Amino acid sequence: MDLALQLLFTGIGIGAVYALVALGFVLIFRATNVVNFAQGEFSMVAAFVMVVLAVDLGWPYWLSFLLSLCAMALVGALFNLGVYYPLRNRSFLPVIIATIGASIFLANSVLALYGPQPQVLQGWFDTPGIQLGPVYLDSQYLLIIAVTIVLVAFQYWFFEHTLLGKKLQATSQDKEMASLLGIPVSAMIMLTFVYSALLGGIAGILVAPVLFVSIQMGATIALKAFAATIIGGFGDVAGAIIGGLALGVIETFGAAYVSVPYKDGFAFLVLVLFLIFRPQGIFGERVAEKA
Amino acid sequence: MSATAQAAKPAAARRIGGRFGGPLAYAAVAALATLAAIYAPFDDYILHILVETATYAIAVFGLTVVLGLCGQINLAQAAFFGLGAYAVGLGTSDLHVSFWLALVAGACVALVMGAFLGMSTLRLGGHYLAMVTISFQQILTLVMINWIPVTHGPDGVGNIARPAFFTSGHGYLGLCVVALALVGYLVWHLPETKLGRSMRAVRDNELAASVSGIDVYRVKVAAFALCALLGGIGGGLFAGGFAYVSPDQFSFAESIVFLTMALLGGVASPIGALIGTALLIVLPETLRFLKSVPGLYLAIYGLAVILIIRFMPDGIWGFVQSYLRRFMTPPPFAQAAPELVLAPAKLETPSALEIEGLSKHFGGLKAVDGVSFSVRRGSVHALIGPNGSGKTTTLNVLSGLYTPTAGKIALDGHDVTGLPPHARTAAGLGRTFQNIRLFRSMSALDNIVIGAERPGNALGHGHAALVDRARAALGFVGLEGRARDPITSFSYGHQRLIEVARALAGNPTLLLLDEPAAGLNSTEKLELRGLLKRIAAKGLTILIIDHDMALVSDVAEHITVLNFGRRIADGGAAEVLRNPDVIAAYLGAEPDAAHRA
Amino acid sequence: MKLTRRGFSRVLAASLAAPAFIGRAGAQGATLKIGMCAPVTGPAAEQGRYAQTGAKIALDAVNKAGGVLGKQVELIIEDDQTTNPGIVLAFSKLAAQEDIVAFLGSIRSTQVHAMAPDVLKLGKPVMIGGTDPALTHMGNQWLFRFRPNDSYSGRVLADYGVNTLGKKKWAIVHSTDAFGTAGGKALADALGKIGATVALDQGYANQSQDFTPVVLAVKQSGADILGSYFTFENDLGIFARQLRQLGVNIPYVGSPSIVNVTALKLAGPALYGTFGVSDFAEESSEAAKAFGKLYREVAKVAPDVQASWTYDAMNILSAAINKAGKTDPGAIREAILATKGYDGAEGVYNFDANGDGLHGYNIVKNEKGNIIFDKHIDFTD
Repeated sequence: MDLALQLLFTGIGIGAVYALVALGFVLIFRATNVVNFAQGEFSMVAAFVMVVLAVDLGWPYWLSFLLSLCAMALVGALFNLGVYYPLRNRSFLPVIIATIGASIFLANSVLALYGPQPQVLQGWFDTPGIQLGPVYLDSQYLLIIAVTIVLVAFQYWFFEHTLLGKKLQATSQDKEMASLLGIPVSAMIMLTFVYSALLGGIAGILVAPVLFVSIQMGATIALKAFAATIIGGFGDVAGAIIGGLALGVIETFGAAYVSVPYKDGFAFLVLVLFLIFRPQGIFGERVAEKA
Repeated sequence: MSATAQAAKPAAARRIGGRFGGPLAYAAVAALATLAAIYAPFDDYILHILVETATYAIAVFGLTVVLGLCGQINLAQAAFFGLGAYAVGLGTSDLHVSFWLALVAGACVALVMGAFLGMSTLRLGGHYLAMVTISFQQILTLVMINWIPVTHGPDGVGNIARPAFFTSGHGYLGLCVVALALVGYLVWHLPETKLGRSMRAVRDNELAASVSGIDVYRVKVAAFALCALLGGIGGGLFAGGFAYVSPDQFSFAESIVFLTMALLGGVASPIGALIGTALLIVLPETLRFLKSVPGLYLAIYGLAVILIIRFMPDGIWGFVQSYLRRFMTPPPFAQAAPELVLAPAKLETPSALEIEGLSKHFGGLKAVDGVSFSVRRGSVHALIGPNGSGKTTTLNVLSGLYTPTAGKIALDGHDVTGLPPHARTAAGLGRTFQNIRLFRSMSALDNIVIGAERPGNALGHGHAALVDRARAALGFVGLEGRARDPITSFSYGHQRLIEVARALAGNPTLLLLDEPAAGLNSTEKLELRGLLKRIAAKGLTILIIDHDMALVSDVAEHITVLNFGRRIADGGAAEVLRNPDVIAAYLGAEPDAAHRA
Repeated sequence: MKLTRRGFSRVLAASLAAPAFIGRAGAQGATLKIGMCAPVTGPAAEQGRYAQTGAKIALDAVNKAGGVLGKQVELIIEDDQTTNPGIVLAFSKLAAQEDIVAFLGSIRSTQVHAMAPDVLKLGKPVMIGGTDPALTHMGNQWLFRFRPNDSYSGRVLADYGVNTLGKKKWAIVHSTDAFGTAGGKALADALGKIGATVALDQGYANQSQDFTPVVLAVKQSGADILGSYFTFENDLGIFARQLRQLGVNIPYVGSPSIVNVTALKLAGPALYGTFGVSDFAEESSEAAKAFGKLYREVAKVAPDVQASWTYDAMNILSAAINKAGKTDPGAIREAILATKGYDGAEGVYNFDANGDGLHGYNIVKNEKGNIIFDKHIDFTD
């Protein structure tokens, strides 16, 4: 029982990271109908920027964090201008290929600039964690779970209760109609990319103290997060959260009770089962892409 | 694959034969290249590079098929390449079977895996395919590394044997060049086969492809399996060339290299694939300094992918081709187009189409609610109704895009209610769309050839007959003189005529026209009216759906009127148009209908 | 600012370094040529510079002492791009030059596997640093190893844990890749031979993000000592931290990655007090100290195993050719195999019939982040 509680905590912690990155996927998919295969690299880039500012330059943690987020906003904007926007009127295939190209470009540029060695980033708290009865709670995982809850709440409030959020929703549902209503569609899409890059960046900076900062961190997380979005139902915010958490817990328990070496296999197994038997995911209705 | 390709050879040969001396010239070039491979004084280093180029190019040809022709993405080509390579490696060094047996086994494994992967995801959209191929790539790499008893793990497989007679470096290169030439020839001519045309149609417009009688899903699976097969063959030959394989040679990064090769050279043609492959193998050899910083060259590849997609979507060869085309206009046709023959199957049933109690509900909304009518053979029948009356839904249920909630559809006396769109087309249904759906990357002629190729079309077999039939159909709508022009150069009205011609070329039993007059100006509308009358004069049954009362009252003998998903009138044209319910429905729902009429 | 400067200096260093070494090979004529495949480019380009510098230091010393067979020795470096096809290409380029008498190969086992068929075909001696035991046991008589192979690390770990630390109930954690699996098996076998028990033998896949299940398994096994084979430092770092967080504090001995600089940085205090095996330790012998001093003078940084093996290989190869008195491959082979009791930077070389020169490891301890040499354990069989 103690064992199971410890595993449950770790699983939820890891799952919250998947959920954060999955949220970014969902937002961009809803706004542009395109899967952004570079979403994971947003996390990786943010973590490296954080390492440069907080570790190499030794600036205060909070300042480095804010500056990293600014940098991510810029990355999101440039990504939209350089990768998505010029191709917005082409079919989804060129866009997918371009985002894959961007993902390779980002990962390997950082590799070329910073070298292959993984880096250390300290956590937000000085205490590594707390012992609660039989369960050890890693403070960084606690923070990740808390931030995920706050961001989900914020996102709900933003989309359902603000004018800007409603405009974004309108854009994602019907771009032509939205532009007829006077909503600046290009600006809305730009905003979506910036916000997604921020989400990815926050996830990357939060997870860095646990997983270290490495070139591969983005790809590893993004693959799982993508699986989470499919499990949750594409384009569904709640689905992405549930899918991410479920995946984290399934993985951890699978590793403990079935097989450690094939831990990554569980995520893909669940994914394949969903693709075959319930491609619309837990919550989603829509499978076919818009014609 | 080989069966279709072989069937296509004579046709392709005939077509090219008159112009360039055809396959003979190709064979001569290939033979020359092979001789050069065998006898030129290359040292081992050059031999290695050339073997690498030839074997990689075969795998990149696979991407030409799946990405260039069929428009589907495959991010696991290195995995299929690896399957072939490991089959040859493990087969010859551990199991001591013959190289050829191992090569065939590897190709088959790749083919089966490709088909399986395709079957499991190609029904879903391209995003899923991208994701699933990445997953497959990762899982295969994991298996290669971790399944040590079989794959030897990261140590890889050494002592891979080459086949007898080809053990020397030059001999083996010769073998690779021959394989490259053969595969290249098949891929080059694939677009001129039925399968290849179907792939292009699927890439351009899946919906239009399916109503032209193409089984979209099967074509996609075929393209994907073919791509995997070529990956496997390339990988098998690669393993023989290098005598050693290990998992890191078949990683995701290599899949990206394959993709970049295809995109850089030009994804539409095997020539582009060869150019891209050669460049990306030779360039890094000469531009080694790029690799002195880890990651730099892959970063440049990533950037190149973005830039190529944006600025040179057709790659280097596509770029060159656009210049070459100016000097290479195809010769005019020797003979005039023949007369269009429309010979619908003659059956005993008096009605071409019989609809009984048809319903389609979307949740609580009853878009079509228990509609029945029949279309008499050889008549022009109109289905009208105000906006939102359920006309287009009825049409989509008829052509199989929607499954009906209840009811029965019989075409020519056969129940087609449960059939998918392409099977209905095969059963004799032709249709056009309200918003035109043509294959936009092709010429007018090619569009119509795909229509003429409808399964179940008894008229015309073989490439020459198809072209003749397509020209006849194009001549019938008055556009034969511009047969070779790309679709995008035609006006809206002409594109509509081409769409009608595409359906006519398939020799349908029943022609469904969805608002054919929409978006046409008054001159074009007059032309359309004339065309419909000429089609009717040939005895073809037409079911037309339109708002345009002038057109409907002019051409239709029989009219069915829908309102709010129900049939409110059905009978002779004049009689129905006098029906007070019909007038009320139109005037009530759409005040300007009278003006239009 | 820091990013660009670092990146720029890397590019600069790389583009300057490569021609500098190749440029040395300018003088034609009465030289004796030795070929070297090294990663000038690719992911291991930085390690490649260590390897080239190590070989170059030995080369200078040999030439200063009169060269080999009365001729100056010339080193011809070809880039292996850190890939398997790359090293096959590089070796085929070198092999085409008939006056090259012997070669230095790779430190990566998979690359040595890749070039092995061509080596056998050519029939000239190749010095290697790859540690997969199979390399010298697969019937290829032209490969000579200048590092202890992996089968010795397991024996050294077992010997140290049981005989020096006095612990008999073991938990083994290893990566499921070839290196980790073979290492874990070697450790388990060695423990069986000296009468210790294995309470847990747990594999994991590389690049795992979480080790909670593994750590809990170690905890529940009741083992009193932990032995590990980790391939990647970030895995080791996550594992070590979770180990301490979940309260596992038993003695810990590990494969070479446990004392590598990156692992020390990532894991920090979580690895304090652990032991590791290391084939090069500067404090282990007079020869190692001397090499360390020489290397610092030339390269301004501390040497590591990437440099020490090429240094030893170049020295022993030159001595062997001198002893053979001719450049006949068979004669050079006999002379290398006859090398006994040679004091190298990595330890004392006693070549066996398979071509393995070293048969033991240094044990080092992590004292609050500093690596301290503890003892050298050698086997005679």
